[in-house]
Amino acid sequence: MDQEKRIGVFVCHCGTNIAGVVNIPEIVEYTKTLPNVAFADAYTYVCSTPGQEMIINAIKEQNLNGVVVAACSPRLHEPTFRRATERGGVNQFLFSMANIREQNTWVHMEMPEEATRKAKDLIRMEVARASKLEPLEAKVVPVEKAALVIGAGIAGIQASLDLAASGIKTYLVEKEPSIGGNMSRLDKTFPTLDCSQCILTPKMVDVERSENIELMTYSEVEDVSGYIGNFDVTIRQKSRYIYEDKCNGCGKCQEVCPVSRPNEFDLGLQPRKAAYVPFPQAVPLKFTIDMDSCIKCDLCKADDACGELEAIDFDKPDEIVNVKVGTIIVATGFDMYDVERKEEWGYKVYDNVVTGLEFERLIGASGPTGGKVIRPSDGKQPKSVGFVLCAGSRDQDEEDGAKPYCSRVCCMYSLKHAHQLIEKIPGCVPYLFYMDIRSFGKAYEEFYYRIQDEGGKFIRGRVAKITEDPITKNLIVTAEDTLLGEIMEMEMDMVVLASAVVPTESTQKIKKLLTLSNSPDGWLLEAHPKLNPMSTTTDGVFLAGMCQGPRDIPDVVAHAGAAAAAASIPIHRGSVTLEPIYAIVDEERCGGCATCIGMCPYGATELTHVDSKLIAHVNEAKCKGCGTCGSACPSGAIKMQHFTNEQIMSEIEAFAQGW
Amino acid sequence: MKEYNFFLGCIAPNRYPGIEASAVKTSREFGIELCDFKGASCCPAPGAFGSMDINAWLALAARNICLSEKEGKDIALVCNGCYKSLFETNYRLKENPELREKVNSVLANAGYEFQGTQEVRHLIDVLHKDVGVEKVKESVEVPLTGLNVAIHYGCHLLRPKVERIFDSSERPVFFDELVEALGAKSIDYKEKMMCCGAGGGVRSYKIDLALDMVNEKLYNMTQAGADVVVNVCPFCHLQLDRGQLEIKEKFGDVYDLPVLHYSQLLGIAQGMSPEELGLSAHVIDVEPLLAKVL
Repeated sequence: MDQEKRIGVFVCHCGTNIAGVVNIPEIVEYTKTLPNVAFADAYTYVCSTPGQEMIINAIKEQNLNGVVVAACSPRLHEPTFRRATERGGVNQFLFSMANIREQNTWVHMEMPEEATRKAKDLIRMEVARASKLEPLEAKVVPVEKAALVIGAGIAGIQASLDLAASGIKTYLVEKEPSIGGNMSRLDKTFPTLDCSQCILTPKMVDVERSENIELMTYSEVEDVSGYIGNFDVTIRQKSRYIYEDKCNGCGKCQEVCPVSRPNEFDLGLQPRKAAYVPFPQAVPLKFTIDMDSCIKCDLCKADDACGELEAIDFDKPDEIVNVKVGTIIVATGFDMYDVERKEEWGYKVYDNVVTGLEFERLIGASGPTGGKVIRPSDGKQPKSVGFVLCAGSRDQDEEDGAKPYCSRVCCMYSLKHAHQLIEKIPGCVPYLFYMDIRSFGKAYEEFYYRIQDEGGKFIRGRVAKITEDPITKNLIVTAEDTLLGEIMEMEMDMVVLASAVVPTESTQKIKKLLTLSNSPDGWLLEAHPKLNPMSTTTDGVFLAGMCQGPRDIPDVVAHAGAAAAAASIPIHRGSVTLEPIYAIVDEERCGGCATCIGMCPYGATELTHVDSKLIAHVNEAKCKGCGTCGSACPSGAIKMQHFTNEQIMSEIEAFAQGW
Repeated sequence: MKEYNFFLGCIAPNRYPGIEASAVKTSREFGIELCDFKGASCCPAPGAFGSMDINAWLALAARNICLSEKEGKDIALVCNGCYKSLFETNYRLKENPELREKVNSVLANAGYEFQGTQEVRHLIDVLHKDVGVEKVKESVEVPLTGLNVAIHYGCHLLRPKVERIFDSSERPVFFDELVEALGAKSIDYKEKMMCCGAGGGVRSYKIDLALDMVNEKLYNMTQAGADVVVNVCPFCHLQLDRGQLEIKEKFGDVYDLPVLHYSQLLGIAQGMSPEELGLSAHVIDVEPLLAKVL
């Protein structure tokens, strides 16, 4: 340990990113004067192959036992340089990185002299730290050959099918009685106009038939513990009050059930019974009794109904199931923004103002009207329909809970609705009130042109208000046509609000269970917005579909496929390497006070008995190395590996020396 | 007995003294004393002053609030324009320390300092929240059964929503509840929440446009079968009442639709005489209305 420290420092130009601001030769000369520095040099791109060779050769030629690279953020290239250090024959944890790009030249580009001085400070600090670094060994843990997918909309379905196809046992958990999610509510999909159910149902059936998928509908994840490779998951299978293995889906219970209440699947637009399946293509085709509305009349149990099957049991309890999985995919989807809060449009006040999703049910062949578009007020066919785009999206009105982001699907589905109206009702004119038409995908812009040619009317302007003629129930839409610069007022038979998409409430619960984060807009936070949009900051947990942000079906499917591929990697490798950057407890000094237990945001600390003495123990796999426990420990018994007190103090001292 | 400093504003004392009288008299029924507010100036008018120099507007409004702070009294008022000036100033200066400091540095020249210790209340809000619909109902001597009331809330009472205390700026109900408590019916009419056309300097700057707006409102009210327009703002009141005369001259449309401030309607229901409520100062004759309810 006390052998002479010989540290090599490599300063990166990063093209002109760094060299364009600071004086590199001056920095290199300065670095050579620092204690323990045996070698210092600069290179255009240290991350390139010749750059890495330079490190490897210097280690060998100069007999180095520590490496510092002054370049970009460690988030970008720390793994690259660690590997180079290891290849040079030095333990990879004897490497340290000074960020002189993001934290220096990019933010101080107007101040070259000060930036040069700051680069020297940063390098001096990393050299001091590198002098105190200790060699560490990475830990390898085995991975359970199973995966959990939470949510069975198109994202969860796609991810599960991909995982299953690669031979991984997959538990697919869905809180509703059927899989399918919001996609099963849609009539047609843009821009190809294929029927949503027709392309979704085969996938739903595949899920049910797959040997590798264990489908758990009407179930919710209650608890998750463990870490990548070894998650323990507790799932509550809510009671359907019907035995799935006995129910043959005949539907006789539904026929005789006297209770009627709004069907959630149809957004309340048509009734269902207390014994029900949400929609005819439901998977699994097993009935559920909604105990909140069941009056226990026993008609469904009678001989002419379920009878001898004896599938119904009003006392059937919930079941708790525990499974062990290696990786988890979150696919909890989206909800619609509560557009009622935008009072100026009169949703839920005026009969003929509906949301985009309600319109899907109204125009869908499986919907309450069998696909015949009618006005809710009088059942007549509308001849003029207004579409309010960005209803709650791209709107900074926080008071009404509106969202500043673009919901990414509303322009296109409104175009599709316009097309469907023109096709179904001769003479019907759709008016689209828009800010910009965002037809960004493959064949989307062409679809936009097509609707223009078909007779869709486009008015660039946000709808200021909608009022209702109390007698005809027609709607008077007021907007500014910003292309003509005129206020316009038009009478419409019906208005469709293309409401924003928002994260589901259940996503919040899952977020807490898996210690995920969300971005300021409420969607779950990805590991990297561009290069790793399907991973999270929790190892072994991945994101698929809308839960990470608004996207349309093709993007959801691609995202889900990527999540499945990423989630299958650790499982197929069979083991994962854990960073040794975790806290360790000095058992001699620990007094078992449990201060660290409450502090840990990851639940990695626990109290254990060692020789009848109560001491803290850190689960190495769960620990993220944040150091909270170490700084809180009153007896200084917790050591944060790779970020020891000594290492951090040496950095601070080195910083102070320059001032 | 709850005492408020009664901020009169300009239009009520100058044009419609009955609004002041009825507000004071009807409030006494609920144990509310609207006291003379000594030294109060113009609010000042939010459109005319606020659009020119926001800091001057804030400072002048804050001076009025400071006067009441010295007396330790909350302010009550019966005008939406005054409400915007005084309520909003009070709200902003309480919420924003930086702005308060800025305004206080101006007020210091006149020897005032805004403390943020008092409330500014619109009387309609006091009646709804503190007195309550039930008590108002109990005070009725002459139920206004069969009377169709077209309510005009007025813009400054409700907007901007963030700086107000009412839940809804598009579909509020508190005023309707107080009107229906008197036995009358609040009728729905087209563009109920539309501006009367007077505020924001529109009436002074472009009278034709202002009259066109109120003409549309009056037409919509008449179409819905209104017997009377009821408001809570003397400026809206002026526009709706005197405006009918101007519309008749300019466009030839005749409505003869009586206009009352809520305090006056309340006074009628509480059994007060037309003289007590100063109804003779109105341009549109209120007599046919009285004949209908009395």
